Amino acid sequence: MKNFSRFTLLSLLFLYLFFGNCIVGNFSSVYAQDDWKQEYSSVCAKTQNAMILTPEELKSYIDRCDKLLALINELEGEQAATEKKVYTKRVKMCRELYQFALEYKEHK
Amino acid sequence: MKKAIFTTALLFAIIGIAFAQTGVKKRRPLPFEFGRVVINNYSEASHIAPVVFDHWLHRAKFTCRLCHVDIGFGMKAGATDIKARDNINGYYCGTCHNGTRVFGDTSVFSSCKEGSGKMNATCNRCHSLGKNVTRKYDFREFVKGWPRERLGNGVDWEKAEDRELIIPYDYIEGVSIKREKLIVQQDFKIAPKVEGMPDIIFSHDKHTFWNGCELCHPEIFTGIKKGLTKYSMVDLYEGKYCGVCHINVAFPLLDCQRCHTEKVQ
Amino acid sequence: MAPIQKLLSAFIIALTVPVSASAADYSHYLRHIPPAENFGQVVLDNYSHKAGVLPVTFDHWLHRAKFTCRLCHIDIGFAMKAEMTEISAADNMSGYYCGACHDGKRVFDGRNIFGSCAENYTEDEGKRCARCHSSAEAEERKYDYKSFSEKLPKLPGNLIDWEKAESEGKVKLTDFLEGVSYKREPLKAQDDFTIKIRSWDVIFSHRKHTVWNGCELCHPMIFPSTKRGTTKYSMFQIMMKGEYCGVCHTSVAFSVWLCAKCHITLVE
Repeated sequence: MKNFSRFTLLSLLFLYLFFGNCIVGNFSSVYAQDDWKQEYSSVCAKTQNAMILTPEELKSYIDRCDKLLALINELEGEQAATEKKVYTKRVKMCRELYQFALEYKEHK
Repeated sequence: MKKAIFTTALLFAIIGIAFAQTGVKKRRPLPFEFGRVVINNYSEASHIAPVVFDHWLHRAKFTCRLCHVDIGFGMKAGATDIKARDNINGYYCGTCHNGTRVFGDTSVFSSCKEGSGKMNATCNRCHSLGKNVTRKYDFREFVKGWPRERLGNGVDWEKAEDRELIIPYDYIEGVSIKREKLIVQQDFKIAPKVEGMPDIIFSHDKHTFWNGCELCHPEIFTGIKKGLTKYSMVDLYEGKYCGVCHINVAFPLLDCQRCHTEKVQ
Repeated sequence: MAPIQKLLSAFIIALTVPVSASAADYSHYLRHIPPAENFGQVVLDNYSHKAGVLPVTFDHWLHRAKFTCRLCHIDIGFAMKAEMTEISAADNMSGYYCGACHDGKRVFDGRNIFGSCAENYTEDEGKRCARCHSSAEAEERKYDYKSFSEKLPKLPGNLIDWEKAESEGKVKLTDFLEGVSYKREPLKAQDDFTIKIRSWDVIFSHRKHTVWNGCELCHPMIFPSTKRGTTKYSMFQIMMKGEYCGVCHTSVAFSVWLCAKCHITLVE
């Protein structure tokens, strides 16, 4: 009995580790694994309401975008070529929108 | 003498103008061809058929923003420079077409894979230029019963969305960023230069549903002050401004009164 | 200069240019003016010959008497150059192009319109193919030019004066096709205007054109400019290359050789 439960526990643990990993792997895919990707998600999450941010907020977002772009430009590794291409464009798009909103506000 | 000079000058002027390619009418694509994009950055060089991408299927299921902002596809055929490697890495087409992603009850087929280099039926689903491929979705079946429109895809996408005949995804787990709800900017009027033409009503609301903000601003519409940029139909027709989408994918410019909607007083 | 001299000099310029401009073959536009019954005739052979049938010979005059240009060239989507539409039997069978009306079901003027291409047909039905896939003189054709045009006003050379025929109510034009066209708020017809060309002024009438074409048949594809005077048109482009006015007026609408119909000041 004791042996049995230990076996069950162990196999459950094993199953959890094995399949749990798969599930996690499934969800995160290639996106959003590294720190810079976290930063990307947080800095570009405000594009939908860029027009209600204050000029100071916008400036700080633009600044963070620039830092992020520099970081992306220095990526290395197997996927670097693709990552640079994809994320440079994505970050640039949101940076330029913030810039656009900022100019709009300053013009007003 | 003066006359001879004039005639010669006229002759040269005529020759000069003669080489500009305008003033003729091109063929209009059929409803199922409208929005078709052929991508051939590397295909033919690798001895495989170029990719034929029809917008209509994807546009019925996803917002423009999802692919053109979150996934990062460019707005011109070939501009994204998609490599098989990018897809294998899980970007561009490979973002969804990775063999594991599921939308509703459809599991999405896999795009380019690391392998023998031999083409199979799955490859042909995209690499199909010049091939007689039976697509999984038949256009006419697919759009049956949807509100119609005379040009473009023959489908009124705006109404189809309004009536919830299509409910496009705007978020993909792991790819899109969780964003706050969009604050819609106001609609506005543009007065045309030609007297007697109805005013253009631009609806931010209709556009942001599909596009969010950054798809259009500032790359396509750079102006920060209304009325500052002068748009001309010629520019639009050359694929600038509204023409980026409203020639090849969204309802075409030919449908004057879809934009020139305000009645003339 | 006397009108005839003006005409001559315009003519000479038009003729000398293609020789000096390029080796491209423009003879197509300079061929003899066809007899009236063949004016506006289009022969379509994108796939016919390969499929073992005669090419389609389409005469504009019959359809012109019943429908606006706009209906076919915008709502149905026919291109403005022969064979550019690349119509296939499959297109017709799925209700596009010819098949938009010629589906065997549509009724027009109280008559059933004959069906175009079909997948399966009996030998008897097969005779129907020859209504389009034949020469214009084929006996299967239901209408002939002579009797059809008898009561219509004429231009020189036995050509039909469509403008007059329409304004006198001798032809009634259909501009809406159920299930294909969409009703839109009509746009205001723009003013007529004069194009100053030294002493050969052209008076362009928007009103006369919009009856047949609406706005979108010409704008913006054929005439993209919205500001008068910015595009310079030449008779070479119009006559030899079939651009601008030449898109229609070399092949279907009254011929460019009727100079005085546009260059109104030549008449005075």
